[in-house]
Amino acid sequence: MTERPMDDVPSAPIPTIEELGPDATAMAAAAAGATLDQPALPAAAPLRRPHPIRWLRRLLNGLTAVGVKELRGRMRGRRAFVVLTLYLVLLGTFAWMYELILEQRYSTTSGGTAAYASAAIGQELFAGLMMVVTLLVVLLAPAFTAGAISLEREKQTLDLLVTTPISSVSIVIGKLLSALTYVFILIAASIPMTAVVFVFGGVAPEDVIRGYIVLFATAFGLGAFGLFCSTLVKRTQAATVITTFGVMAMTLGSIFILVFWGAVTQPRFGETSGGLGPIKGRPPEAIAYLNPFLAQADVVCTTQTTYGSYCARLASLLNGNAGVVVFSDVGQPPEPVPMPAVDVSNVGGNVEARQAFASADVVPVQQFGVSRNAFWPRSVAAWLVLSAVLITLSVQLVSPTRRWRFRLRRGRGRTA
Amino acid sequence: MSAIVRAEGLVKRYDRTVAVAGVDLAVEPGEIFGLVGPNGAGKTTTLRILATLLEPSAGEAEICGYSVIRNPDEVRRVLGFMPDAFGVYDDMKVWEYLDFFGRCYGIPAASRRRMIGDLLDLVDLAGKRDTYVQALSRGMQQRLCLAHALVHDPQVLLLDEPASGLDPRARVELRELLRELRTLGKTIIISSHILPELEELCTSVAIVDHGSVLAQGRVSDIERRLRFGAVLRVHVLADDAGLEAARAHFDADPEVASAAILEDRTIELGFRGDDAASARLLAKAVGAGIQVVTFSRAASDLEELFLQVTSGDREPEAAA
Repeated sequence: MTERPMDDVPSAPIPTIEELGPDATAMAAAAAGATLDQPALPAAAPLRRPHPIRWLRRLLNGLTAVGVKELRGRMRGRRAFVVLTLYLVLLGTFAWMYELILEQRYSTTSGGTAAYASAAIGQELFAGLMMVVTLLVVLLAPAFTAGAISLEREKQTLDLLVTTPISSVSIVIGKLLSALTYVFILIAASIPMTAVVFVFGGVAPEDVIRGYIVLFATAFGLGAFGLFCSTLVKRTQAATVITTFGVMAMTLGSIFILVFWGAVTQPRFGETSGGLGPIKGRPPEAIAYLNPFLAQADVVCTTQTTYGSYCARLASLLNGNAGVVVFSDVGQPPEPVPMPAVDVSNVGGNVEARQAFASADVVPVQQFGVSRNAFWPRSVAAWLVLSAVLITLSVQLVSPTRRWRFRLRRGRGRTA
Repeated sequence: MSAIVRAEGLVKRYDRTVAVAGVDLAVEPGEIFGLVGPNGAGKTTTLRILATLLEPSAGEAEICGYSVIRNPDEVRRVLGFMPDAFGVYDDMKVWEYLDFFGRCYGIPAASRRRMIGDLLDLVDLAGKRDTYVQALSRGMQQRLCLAHALVHDPQVLLLDEPASGLDPRARVELRELLRELRTLGKTIIISSHILPELEELCTSVAIVDHGSVLAQGRVSDIERRLRFGAVLRVHVLADDAGLEAARAHFDADPEVASAAILEDRTIELGFRGDDAASARLLAKAVGAGIQVVTFSRAASDLEELFLQVTSGDREPEAAA
């Protein structure tokens, strides 16, 4: 331990026992009154910034400490591995059953070739698996992290942790990563299962990679969200409730708002345009950024060469001008479906769609002006930005003293 | 002044209440320093400020020369803290618990292993190395928590109510442990409302109430300073009439404030004088032919001291 010279410490003499007589009470009260009024501290010395490499080493050291501790608890015994096995068995059973459903459907669909049917089955199977794993991530990732900090508070272990020199950054990121490790394992374990779609065709490896990028980003972002809720409120129960509501708002809520937007902006009979106050035209895409199902739908849409159901759903939601179908027809064959009504502002949509349908070729620009393969990267970016913000906030909330440094720097005029 | 822990004018305000209203402390190296006060006096808040868990609203505190406000990281490295209410992690073995905190302090793997063995020996948990932490008894958990605070060989230990919830045997063991730590050169600050504990253990105390220090210094110094009156118990060999006569004899002494006969036929005296005066009192009584069997100062002086100092008539001032 390095000894440093005392720096600018006020050197007023401390009252000794001789000064504190039987009438210490009055003195203490007087002292208290004095310190309440005067700005007792000398001007706050600038915080010494540690050397970046030392800082990084400390960060990594703290991350390992928290990570090893968390994983020791989580991965001890057979439980984690039994659950993993069970999960893979269930996912495999689902894939098999879903494949049978699709096979049944496409074998009875008239007019398709075997190759076409196989590719369509592959695409739908890919879509089904991605949606199921996304659902799993949406349910598990925030649930795993929603107790990370609040449980430490409830069990009164956070104080012990915070009085060690490991930084709040280490605590927050260590907790987040170790809580998400299991979710990441579950996601990764489903990769071989998803590879089954290559047997059927219709899905390219890069599609699968895209799907998993979305899954990992979503898991990370939702985990950060759960962790933030956990630092924000003291009780785990409250944190879990807030997290659940937040996730519902991101998924069901965003779709509902898009549906609402689409319905309201639909022109009524005899009118040229619809809308309600500020709600007019196309809905802002950002509403859907945090909906992992829609991001996944974009990935799936990219695989589908025809005007498939996933593209239709995504386009109709984001354009707000079509007959809206929300996931009620999962698995509907990508047959020629009736084209949704298009308003004149989307010039060219129908033409392109017709061309696409005629040639059954890869369509670079999706119908109705939403280009495919463009929504999911924005969603991933949104998750990463959100995670960064939430982690920063969590670090501030975990840190016991150095909260909101900018406010401290401006002066310590924080009166109660 | 060579104080290793120093606090000046510490104030902690919450929205309406003032938890700590200007606490000044100075603790010399190697001391066992007791922070005594009733519940809600501000002991825990003071310790939490020293442990860098709370930021004071005003005032300054430093440990080993590091400011708890501006250099919390350095303070954390020289400080071991044991909170009054602490939990243990589930799913963790005793050695893993210490290993975890060892990692937190960045202790390399090789010395960590040795450190865990040493600490478990010190707190007498060597046989429990592979037990799950939640399966330990309260006293053992307390000792384990103390061990966790020693992982990085700190110079200063802050122990908040370490004896609460312990059975008498565990308390004695804890006391022995703290004495041992003192011989290892640690400075220990210990808070408690259980006074006899501290009286035996501490070299200095600060009596805290309503968020301020009422008296501070060596136990004997404070006693001498604040001794308005000790309580003396006298047991005499006499029948009822003789007992009453003896009571009257004591009552007549100018330094005796009150004299009463208790149920068990001892005479309790409220006494103003110092030790020399009480010796004179005894000599006079024997000289007067009273057959004194025992003559003693009532136990637990610190407790009386405490009651005197923290008597309730000051509350209006403290609230101001």
